[in-house]
Amino acid sequence: MTQPALDLAAVSKSFDGFPALAGASFSVAAGEVHALLGENGAGKSSLMNVAAGLYRPDSGVIRVDGREVAIDGPVAAKRLGIGMVHQHYKLVKAFSAVENILLACGKGRFAGAAAVEQAIRRQAEAIGFQVDLRRPVGALSVAEQQRVEILKVLVEGARILILDEPSAVLTDKEAEALLGMMRQLAAQGAAVVLVTHKLGEVKRFADRVTVMRGGRTIATADPKARTVAELTSMIVGELVAEKRHPARDVGEPILTLEGVAGCRADGHRVLADASFALRRGEIYGIAGVGGNGQTELAEILMGVRKPVQGRIAIDGTGDVTHDGASRRRDLGLASIPADRQTYGLAGELSVADNYAVQAVRSGGLGGWMRVDGRAAQAQAATAVSAFEVQGVRGLRQKASLLSGGNAQKLVIAREFASQPRIVVAHSPSRGLDMRAAGAVHRRLREARDAGAGVLLISEDLDEVMLLSDRIGVMSGGRIVREFDTPADRQAIGTAMVHHG
Amino acid sequence: MADIGHRDMAILSKPEEAGNTNRARIGRLGLESRQHAPGWYQALVLAGGVLAGLAVSALILMASGIGFAELANEFVVAIFTNAQNVSAVLTQAAPLLIAGLAAAVAFRVRFWNIGIEGQMIMGSIAATAVAIGDVGPEWARLGLMTLAAALGGLAWMLLPALLRIRLSVNEIISTLLLNYVAFNLLLHLLYGPWKDPRSSFPYSQQFDAAERLAPIGWQTLTYALPLALVLAALCWWLLNVSRVGFFTRVIHANPKMAAAMGLPVVAVTLGAALLSGALAGVAGFAVSAGVEYRMTQSFFVGYGFSGILIAFMARNNPLGAVLVALFVATLFVASQSLQVFYQIPGSMVQLIQAVMVIAVASSEFFIRFRIRLVR
Repeated sequence: MTQPALDLAAVSKSFDGFPALAGASFSVAAGEVHALLGENGAGKSSLMNVAAGLYRPDSGVIRVDGREVAIDGPVAAKRLGIGMVHQHYKLVKAFSAVENILLACGKGRFAGAAAVEQAIRRQAEAIGFQVDLRRPVGALSVAEQQRVEILKVLVEGARILILDEPSAVLTDKEAEALLGMMRQLAAQGAAVVLVTHKLGEVKRFADRVTVMRGGRTIATADPKARTVAELTSMIVGELVAEKRHPARDVGEPILTLEGVAGCRADGHRVLADASFALRRGEIYGIAGVGGNGQTELAEILMGVRKPVQGRIAIDGTGDVTHDGASRRRDLGLASIPADRQTYGLAGELSVADNYAVQAVRSGGLGGWMRVDGRAAQAQAATAVSAFEVQGVRGLRQKASLLSGGNAQKLVIAREFASQPRIVVAHSPSRGLDMRAAGAVHRRLREARDAGAGVLLISEDLDEVMLLSDRIGVMSGGRIVREFDTPADRQAIGTAMVHHG
Repeated sequence: MADIGHRDMAILSKPEEAGNTNRARIGRLGLESRQHAPGWYQALVLAGGVLAGLAVSALILMASGIGFAELANEFVVAIFTNAQNVSAVLTQAAPLLIAGLAAAVAFRVRFWNIGIEGQMIMGSIAATAVAIGDVGPEWARLGLMTLAAALGGLAWMLLPALLRIRLSVNEIISTLLLNYVAFNLLLHLLYGPWKDPRSSFPYSQQFDAAERLAPIGWQTLTYALPLALVLAALCWWLLNVSRVGFFTRVIHANPKMAAAMGLPVVAVTLGAALLSGALAGVAGFAVSAGVEYRMTQSFFVGYGFSGILIAFMARNNPLGAVLVALFVATLFVASQSLQVFYQIPGSMVQLIQAVMVIAVASSEFFIRFRIRLVR
């Protein structure tokens, strides 16, 4: 093996006395794609944040091209050619893609802006990324924002590329293209680190794989020589493959949408005509490439965005088109938003408060005069253990300190506390590891089997195929085709990219 | 998406701080963010901040020629051993507390009411109108004046609150500028129709006995103090016990999540803003009817800033506001005697207030972070 481009040796880091990394070691050589596997909280992101200069290790040695270096900030990492695409993007929402990249790379402050924009366009074309470079990134879909992040790192000229779960928000085709491009970059001499949960990707695209568990690196192996089952057991210790569990008892429609249209924040009508019916006891999956109106659909159903046209009806109640979130929740609607940090949780508030919001609003924790704090704590404690929310060191701990998977479990615990009749779940397992995603899926199935209608909006086709009883494909702001399951993956993929 | 970046920083509260944590190093010292600081520790840090602020303030005063012994005498001995001075502090604390509550209620929903002084003026004008017009029977006069003051302050808040909620007009600007409108209206009244008929001076005629907050029978203290304490208790109940208080906490932490959860975000925000205006109006009434017994040109001066300061130091907690208001009142009274006996300029009081704010704000740093040796 040649000298590693990046070598992290015996790195430890603890936060407030709690170790996130306990002597983890990892190295990546120029010309290879090295996958880093592990469950949420295993320390993958922490280790990579050390490499990217966001965390300063308590102990350990970092070498770049064999030379010991001190990376004391993101700027130092950038100078050493280390670029990281984070799981949650570091973008200024009000800026366009070009402005974000200009901001990050620090070039073109005076006259070079046009040249940098040219470079960005060339880079985008080379990879086959289609992004509106002039629109504020806040108005882009999650998948589009990721493309901006990747472009940013590439334009900065990184030769050690770290991608933290890049494919979590991409469609098959996009992921394929992205990872193919990563291989190409590696062939040109870049060192690529791929933090991921997807074993299929690892087997197809990685040269080496390192598995982390509990802040330590467990093993490094050749993924081609290992089966998916072997890799899985390295990660979690045991094999848990998810199977399809079709609905048994599908009832009458409970949620009906007719010609619902909605606009994005900038007034652009991205949701043109959503018409479908969700029935009791089924999971209706909406597949599609990100940015085709899914976010607007989810926000309209949650009650935080007003539809500009169309009709939404709930069985037994009738028209709820113009009702807000409060009334919809009273009617039994629960929502699991894609953007947990914006719509799902209040990070500054405690775990107990985040759990209590729903019950306080509906009067389950005392009347207007007094909120029963003790009962709220007790209910939250029960829910935290029932829904296996880990990493809660105290119910007063801020919710922002929970890892992605556990934060999602907390959201689900709250939303499912009052036996919802309708569940709107938008990308519910985005960024979660297999175990956590499996737990989320199990909860969705349980809700369905208890008679709820579950609407699953996801840009992860695997997830839609695995869970749905019927699948609607969304493209250009409409449901263009519906499939009964088991459906043909190829046909769904085709419908996703061809309108009509 | 920048503002949701803290998830993969798992431990650090904000992504920007992640960079700082690593860069801000003092020799071999490094910074680490705390996950949770216990209540006693927060109180300790706050007390430390106050002490540091006092020390700096003392140094400033000593630099301007007052001996340490004299300072200690003015601030500690003279104030707390003399009933007259205690009474002066408590009298001063009452309107300060109400102004602090006005700020705290609004800040709890991230509504930045900078127009407390304007609302105080409008409250006092409304109360004075009731007094001058002899509205209602005498036994109900004070009650009517209080109500009028609350409505006056509330009305003055209506426009900025609606502009903010309906049209996203920044309330910092609108409430601030309405201060000047209110002040000019006040001048118009005092130089015009409400000029004191007896002396022709530009202040209103003296309130009748029935229009003054009565003395409670100890020193010069009036019912302004019990009124302020009752309001503090009510605000505490509203913000810390009731369901609405819970809603304000969620809205403060994440308004989008609050809306998605079906909380009445608009109603609570509007309600808190209007309540803030009403409380400020009552503060104006408390000064006019409890201290000066007439409406003057400058009764409100300084209360807007002090109210914000009190809410900030008390972290928008109404009970904390009681303590902070007492502290600020002590500062006021001590500085008044410093002004008289040592020729210290009045702006020194503001300087000391500013020092205290900076000290307390800085102490927050030690609640968020811990300094640690880095190997």
